[in-house]
Amino acid sequence: MKLECRAKKMWRIGLAAILVFGATMARAELLIRVTEGRVDAVPIAVVPFEGAQNAPEDVSQIVQADLHRSGQFKPLPAEDMLSRPRNESEVIYRDFRVLGVEYIITGSMKAQESGGYEVSYALFDVNRQVKLMSETYRPPVSQLRDVAHAISDRIYEQLTGIPGAFSTKILYVTHNRSDKNPYQLQYADADGHRVTTILRSKEPIMSPTWSPDGRKVAYVSFEDDGMPAIYTHDLATTNREKVSSFRGINGAPDWSPDGQKLALTLSRDGNPEIYMLDIASKQLTRLTQHYGIDTEPRWLPDGEHLVFTSSRSGGPQIYKLNINDKSVRRVSFQGAYNARPDVTPDGRYLVYVHRRNGNFNVGVQDLQRGTFNIVTRTDMDESPSVAPNGSMVIYGTQDRGTGVLEAVSIDGRVKVTLPSKEGEVREPAWSPFL
Amino acid sequence: MRSFLNPLFALMLAAALAACSSTPTEDDSSATDDMSQQTDTSPVTPVEPSTPSKPDTSSIPLTADNFYNHPSNYDGTTDSRVIYFAFDSNTVPAAAFETLRAHATYLKNNSNAKVRLEGHADERGTREYNVALSERRSKAVEKFLRVQGVSSSQLEIVSYGEEKPAAFGHSEMDWAKNRRVEINYTAGRP
Repeated sequence: MKLECRAKKMWRIGLAAILVFGATMARAELLIRVTEGRVDAVPIAVVPFEGAQNAPEDVSQIVQADLHRSGQFKPLPAEDMLSRPRNESEVIYRDFRVLGVEYIITGSMKAQESGGYEVSYALFDVNRQVKLMSETYRPPVSQLRDVAHAISDRIYEQLTGIPGAFSTKILYVTHNRSDKNPYQLQYADADGHRVTTILRSKEPIMSPTWSPDGRKVAYVSFEDDGMPAIYTHDLATTNREKVSSFRGINGAPDWSPDGQKLALTLSRDGNPEIYMLDIASKQLTRLTQHYGIDTEPRWLPDGEHLVFTSSRSGGPQIYKLNINDKSVRRVSFQGAYNARPDVTPDGRYLVYVHRRNGNFNVGVQDLQRGTFNIVTRTDMDESPSVAPNGSMVIYGTQDRGTGVLEAVSIDGRVKVTLPSKEGEVREPAWSPFL
Repeated sequence: MRSFLNPLFALMLAAALAACSSTPTEDDSSATDDMSQQTDTSPVTPVEPSTPSKPDTSSIPLTADNFYNHPSNYDGTTDSRVIYFAFDSNTVPAAAFETLRAHATYLKNNSNAKVRLEGHADERGTREYNVALSERRSKAVEKFLRVQGVSSSQLEIVSYGEEKPAAFGHSEMDWAKNRRVEINYTAGRP
């Protein structure tokens, strides 16, 4: 049903081939597929970089995959190219114009005696027949992927006016029942490569979130005798600190924009309420007072407001809280189940889980215009998390009974699937710009 | 004869529990949801002889809808350690009363015994909201035991939401098995 639906859509927009990238990568890494692209995706040609075939990472392939994955660009397969220019002097614009290509990227990778590589690229505008930009990097081998993503970021920003988010990371929880430690907290590059495991546990791990500087993460772990506690975890030093382990629920941490505080859910006073924890002083401030459930707080970019889920009107709905005067007002009004909000970096859009006809989908509410759109067509969608450039939302869903990650553009026009090869993947959190 | 359930008492207790638990947290009843009937209409017919303490439940079909209140899930002794709940409900099912009273009696007679009430939810809905929902279930069981006279020092609560399912499928029956409170003895196990 789901597959048929997707297949039909793909047919409609003429995306005949599903490109599968990175078939050779290590086990448990995430494979990314673009399941829906924009009809008006811009045709580009990333010409295979000279010398890339012999390099440990093919920068041109990574750049092509990045741009494709954004859904905004449609790369021309290398075998369809009439010519393969290595540099500006070899570019024959009409070879690309006849194929409808609007931009060309050329480049080279040269091994250095130091052991690293010299990576150069150039971007050309086919219609105007000009070079738009060119750059050279000299990374060690270990940073070839970083350089590739940096190039993608630069090209994306040059062509769309929006900073690229290809150099960011995704934090997520995996669950694999057959593993000695079934619950694991991991992060990977935004394209699913270079998985790093942060924590392995026999007990659940939940609600991972990034510090605004991207150096730390916070999460809920039940590792201590099966009881919940909130930890902060420095990714570079692996130092952990247990910051909240009160009686009852310790849940849903979210870092304030200034990095000084965590919003969180505690039920130590009887039922779930939103609190604010000053991380340095450990001072705790209670922000909500209601016998209903209050949970899933998210800071707005101004650092003065939170949005959160509350059952104070019956079913779960999204509310906005002023942390100074603690006033609360409801912001979601469509349907009987709206929960787990996230916010775009400009504060304009809320994304949250919406239930309709028993299905759980990701909805986007435009706070300026007051409009609300459901942007997914799967079921059991949860934990939406917005990219730091506001372009995409990554979320957890189910594919044939297994938890997988998908991403959708804020306007719902682009969809990308990141199926895991083993176990469940869930609760993605998109990093800030790193 | 030991009746399986005193219906009048059951109704009163159910009403009392419903009254002290807060309002339901979801209020729509779209057709595809297994929105529960709070009143159990299953005819429980205590059948005599061989095992007088257990009613013959073979005549009552076990479905996802009545799973939480099905007599076959509760043996009326401390051997039963799982209490099930209807969809979107934190009302202790009447069929579990005798089992919970057995636990209460045991706890009152064994002051060294301690239980951890582990609340769980099915997978539908958001994770932290489900943690909150599952806390309401363990609190409902805690309240039942407290009303029976169990000391609060013998009771501890933890809420797992959908993180530790008992059944791993995605059917209505799997969900029925996952909406539960597990009674785990951490000391003085019977």
